[in-house]
Amino acid sequence: MQKTLDSPNLKKPALLWGGLLAIPLLAVILFAVAQPIKVVPRIGLAPGFIFTDMYGRQLTNEDLRGQIVIYNFTTTSCEAPCIDTAPIMQALQEFVKQLDTGGIPVTLVTISLDPERDTPERLQAYARKLNADPARWHFVTGSPERLKQVVGGGFELYYTQDEHGVFYFAPMLAIVDGNGILRARYKRGLEDVAIAERDLMLILEEARNSSGAAGLVYEAAHLFLCYPTY
Amino acid sequence: MSEHEHETQHSTGGEPGAEAHGENGWLHVEKWEGVWIRVAVAMTVVFIAAITVAAMSFGITVPGATARINPMTLNDPDSPFATPGIRELAPGKYEVYMVAQTWSFLPDRIEVPVGSEVTFYLTARDVIHGIKIANTNVNMMALPGQVSVLRAKFDKPGVYNYICHEYCGYFANSPIGHHTMYGQLIVTAPDNATETVQVTQ
Ligand SMILES: [Cu+2]
Repeated sequence: MQKTLDSPNLKKPALLWGGLLAIPLLAVILFAVAQPIKVVPRIGLAPGFIFTDMYGRQLTNEDLRGQIVIYNFTTTSCEAPCIDTAPIMQALQEFVKQLDTGGIPVTLVTISLDPERDTPERLQAYARKLNADPARWHFVTGSPERLKQVVGGGFELYYTQDEHGVFYFAPMLAIVDGNGILRARYKRGLEDVAIAERDLMLILEEARNSSGAAGLVYEAAHLFLCYPTY
Repeated sequence: MSEHEHETQHSTGGEPGAEAHGENGWLHVEKWEGVWIRVAVAMTVVFIAAITVAAMSFGITVPGATARINPMTLNDPDSPFATPGIRELAPGKYEVYMVAQTWSFLPDRIEVPVGSEVTFYLTARDVIHGIKIANTNVNMMALPGQVSVLRAKFDKPGVYNYICHEYCGYFANSPIGHHTMYGQLIVTAPDNATETVQVTQ
């Protein structure tokens, strides 16, 4: 009856239980601390849009499904004090050209905030000036209301226009993954293009590797990622 | 068998230490005590696991490098905190850049139409402050060097006071201090409903 913990055969269950509890706890802590798999946060759903590109064709967010898309928001007449993000886009275009993306297309989209001045012709001239590859870099714009909804409401870039038609906005870039989820947003531009390159590589890696059981490991990595979700 | 009984009597007889170790070097634990020890350990493990999982899966944000800011740069011309206040991202969607400092909030008055979604970006200029908007679930710490972010939707028109809820000092015999650090959030109703709201105030 009182054959409790002093009998030798009960030493093992105690160790067994301790081990059973300790191993998952340790594994969880190790996974959270060591981060064997690094992921870029899922900030939220990227906004949907229908815009017009520099050839007058329609471009929607659905056309870009399955592609990793890097966005910047600007006008073709962005001059100091306006901080231009075009050089970063150019650097990213060169980076992507050299990159083996494993069959996942990486696309660049420049959204012009100034539909009045940025006509298709002007966007074409701008694209030529930037040496943009038309196959992977789109230049789009739309009605002011639509732009406000998508860029202001969706991507959360605040911008205004003064009475002379000059736009004021902070330099911003965003990366949206193939599922249409906003993954990175550089709200005050980028001091170093390497940050965007690193994030892009991580998103590509996840898109390539997260099928089947590995997907669960990636989900776990997202679960244990501490990040601001805004 | 008799030896077992003998030992058990000792260990339950309130004399721990005297015969703490049995033949295998293990403690004598009375049956139900052992059961409760196990229950207690299991509960602790379950609670730690629950806290860990909840903290991760509900996206509880902790200080991170992505939301840091040098307090000395708050007045830089390209910093959104240089012009604290509310601004409209799109119809019905706003962002508020707010600076907490001894002993005021910048801005100390925010006006939004009812139903708006507002994202607050809050930082402190000097010492630790906090914000609680009464009768809403907006409740944040304001730390120098860090940006606290919170998104809220205001569905009920009215005047909501916000206060600093992190003691931040005062001058002796002065009328200002931590207790006078407050502001007002005004959630405005559509034009035709303004009057009825004011009546109920
Ligand atoms: Cu305070």
